[in-house]
Amino acid sequence: MAFFKLIFFGLVGLSVIYLSLSVYSASLRREKLEKQYDADPVPGQTREAFVETGMIAYKSGLRPKLLVLVYVVPVAVFTAIIYVINTN
Amino acid sequence: MRTVSFLLRLLPILMFGLLLHYVLPQHDIVRVTSTEVIRTDFSNYNRIFYAQPDSGSAAQPTRDLRLINTQKQKTFLLGFIKRDASEVMVYRNEDTGWIWPPYFKFDSSDLQAEAAAAARTEGWYSITHYGWRIRWASIYPNAVAIRPVDGPNATIVPWFNIFFFVFLIVAIGTVRAMWFQFRERMVDPAMDRVGDQMDIVEARMDRRRSKMRRWWDSWKPKNKR
Repeated sequence: MAFFKLIFFGLVGLSVIYLSLSVYSASLRREKLEKQYDADPVPGQTREAFVETGMIAYKSGLRPKLLVLVYVVPVAVFTAIIYVINTN
Repeated sequence: MRTVSFLLRLLPILMFGLLLHYVLPQHDIVRVTSTEVIRTDFSNYNRIFYAQPDSGSAAQPTRDLRLINTQKQKTFLLGFIKRDASEVMVYRNEDTGWIWPPYFKFDSSDLQAEAAAAARTEGWYSITHYGWRIRWASIYPNAVAIRPVDGPNATIVPWFNIFFFVFLIVAIGTVRAMWFQFRERMVDPAMDRVGDQMDIVEARMDRRRSKMRRWWDSWKPKNKR
């Protein structure tokens, strides 16, 4: 029972971290794109269109996929702890 | 007043520090003298300072508790400064299982066997443990691992704690940065919009008021407008 409780609350906690980190990362990229456009406006493209194309490129890029590590790393660390603690 | 607010702000930090001091692993250099099992009846005072019965067993109000009796080298400052003195120290040896704190310890029986083997020798051992020894409430630190070391002055590098505190600092920095980004990108523009709306409403009120004033003035004689 305790095991399922751990799995459930762990999943909830990690999901909160994952969601807030992905929102934060996307917000950083959006700000960067906006600043890029303001510094050097592309002729024939509005600011919104420039930022939206940049965000679509961001979403298909590597960084959002790396955020899945939020789930992978803690599980790996806990598995390592279980192994180290319970072997003589 | 300023002192009170300072103390109120200090309190959560102090509580967090105490929690970390209780939960994080520490290493003691000891000579194991014996191991034993006592029957324990928990009270409301000390229940939270004990873990649960062995992983997979049923919980009862009363149960046996494994203890490891040792002669421990005294230290200052969480073990950073060694001393040429010793004291007795008693550790409990309980499974933490899947429950807090997350040591995932299931091998209490094995650890007791290792401690019993260590008690037959005169050698020095490093006991990894968490928790406090509080004598008036019969509370013991929980031993997690036992390893032979060279002698009473052996140095142990607390790798886990080093990584933990680096991670903690990085995590606090990230949360801070996230908060500032949230304020800058979400809260401030929303507040600006609210402020703009207020300005518009105020300007409209002013205009209406001045219209009233003109109408009122129109009743006055020309030299008093």
